[in-house]
Amino acid sequence: MKKQALLLLCSTLFFACTKDLAPMSGCTDSTAVNYSANAITDDGSCIFFSTTPFIIETPSGFPDMNIPTNNPMTVEGVALGNKLFHDKILSGNGMQACASCHLQSAAFSDPNQFSTGIDGLIGDRNASAIINVGWNNNLNWDGSAISLEEQAFEPITNSIEMNDTWINVENKLNADGEYPTLFKNAFNIDYIDSNHVVMAIAQFERTLISANSKFDKYLRGETQLTTSELGGYAIFNSEKGDCFHCHGTQMFMDNLFHNNGLDPEPFTDLGLGKITNNASDNAKFKTPTLRNIEFSAPYMHDGRFSTLEEVVEHYNSGGEYSLTVDPLMKKLGVGLQLTNQEKQDLVAFLKTLTDTDFLDEN
Amino acid sequence: MKKIFVIFTTISLVFTACEKEEEIIEGCTDATATNYNALATSDDGSCIAAPTDVYGCMDTGATNYNPLANVDDASCKYNLSLNFTHTVDGNALETDQMIYSNAATQNYSVQTLRYLLSDITLHSANGTSTLLDEVHFITISDPSTFNLDIQDLNSANYTAISFTMGLDSLKNITDNYLNESFFPSFSWPDFMGGGYHYMQLEGDYTTAFQGYATHTGGTDGIDFSFTKNFPISLNIANSNTTVIINMEINNWYSNPNIINLTTDGIMGNANKQALFQANGIADVFSVFYPIN
Repeated sequence: MKKQALLLLCSTLFFACTKDLAPMSGCTDSTAVNYSANAITDDGSCIFFSTTPFIIETPSGFPDMNIPTNNPMTVEGVALGNKLFHDKILSGNGMQACASCHLQSAAFSDPNQFSTGIDGLIGDRNASAIINVGWNNNLNWDGSAISLEEQAFEPITNSIEMNDTWINVENKLNADGEYPTLFKNAFNIDYIDSNHVVMAIAQFERTLISANSKFDKYLRGETQLTTSELGGYAIFNSEKGDCFHCHGTQMFMDNLFHNNGLDPEPFTDLGLGKITNNASDNAKFKTPTLRNIEFSAPYMHDGRFSTLEEVVEHYNSGGEYSLTVDPLMKKLGVGLQLTNQEKQDLVAFLKTLTDTDFLDEN
Repeated sequence: MKKIFVIFTTISLVFTACEKEEEIIEGCTDATATNYNALATSDDGSCIAAPTDVYGCMDTGATNYNPLANVDDASCKYNLSLNFTHTVDGNALETDQMIYSNAATQNYSVQTLRYLLSDITLHSANGTSTLLDEVHFITISDPSTFNLDIQDLNSANYTAISFTMGLDSLKNITDNYLNESFFPSFSWPDFMGGGYHYMQLEGDYTTAFQGYATHTGGTDGIDFSFTKNFPISLNIANSNTTVIINMEINNWYSNPNIINLTTDGIMGNANKQALFQANGIADVFSVFYPIN
């Protein structure tokens, strides 16, 4: 019996020894996600980086979305972007997220005329709605960014917005319990940098597609418009109202910039002209889509109008003359001369562009 | 019997030995070589290959010039540049200046000029035609649209160039050009028949307070596009040939119909569209090409 015990002990020792001496096994492929630099023998456990493509469904009447080839849409990237968009970790004091000023219930815009940054400072432009922005050639009211990735760089360091530094944001994200894994899964990177933060946010923004309003259902033959809504549709698409030149097609925007006669000179906000340094661009601003316009108040680049009725009245009155006012606005002093009924019809039509699925946070 | 066998074997050996001792003549043994030596029994690697025919384009000015070619096979290709220019009374267009006067004696300026030319085609003497571009969009806010480079055209004597102002009814269909740069801004509402504008010419007239918008396109189901065909005599066997297509803006309003600028829209006005179409056909466009 004693002998047996001794034997067993020896065996155990022997096995223990062999285990210690055995080459460490693991994944030896340096291209794998779980590559182990210490492993000598490969145990077949390697997991390679792979993402699931996120398919954008192009709504009827829309062109193909222009997605940068270096930032393809993935399920992992979109989910990460969604989390980042709503995470206050991106702001200097941890109190603000992108979503703080781009509320989904307001079509990802700010119901306030001007947004308030983390230090209580107030901007001078109304936060843009984020609707179908994957089809925008330019971002921001003045077109200062030409891609969603470029645009997303700006608010984080803007002193009147999230007022952080990119180095600080990178450090916070790299030290976080979840983000390193999420970035690894989305982009196969071991260190989170600002480029990949904006890439994820841009991917999420490209999924904010609204194309299921009452008007879309009408075009698909699924519902009828009221007499008033149809009347507004007719004014909108005739040269009487002449809304369609800038807000035409199912995109309800023209991807261009215009001076719609809001102010006489001298202009307080040069808009596109400040970006291009071209005086003929002064006071021109990007045409916003009219989708969900009912919920993206207030209106205009400076949020000066709080209701759609005020907006319609601006166009109906003809607007102010300036050197750069759009020729299509030049019934100055005459205006559209719409009747009250026609104005109501126009507003009724604009409200058919509300897409409750898009606005619903669930 | 044994003896006979021995002798036979000996003879065989001798015979074989004699063959081996035959004189070896070194030289080129390749019958296709220029220095083929019929007497040579051993190739010494000296063969010089006969020049073979290499077919290709032998014009150094062509885009596909082949320096190895020794037989020209008429495959030469050339680049052609189309330039789109815009004038008022023969002078280069200046935007945003109230310096022009039309046949109705109205002063006017030009702020916006965008238009579509389609089916831009070269015709050659043998009756063949070459489509250069199906649809080309030109806007004065983007000078890169003033130029259309056509690459690798066949060498030929081209006798005419034709193009359509706007889009004919087969092309002018909503959603036909969703991915073109003129979408969405050039769309013509379905409510008014759908499709696209042919042209958006806008500015001020009489005073800076009045805007005009000469927007042409299909109206009331009528196709108001028109095709212009210009005889030319062009051999593009020269590098970098440029053909100019000019639009004389004032002529939209003058001949044969004098058209007044108004603030009223003309998109639903088929009568006005017909007047612009007639003026466009008359003398709005001209073509310039280098004389060989």
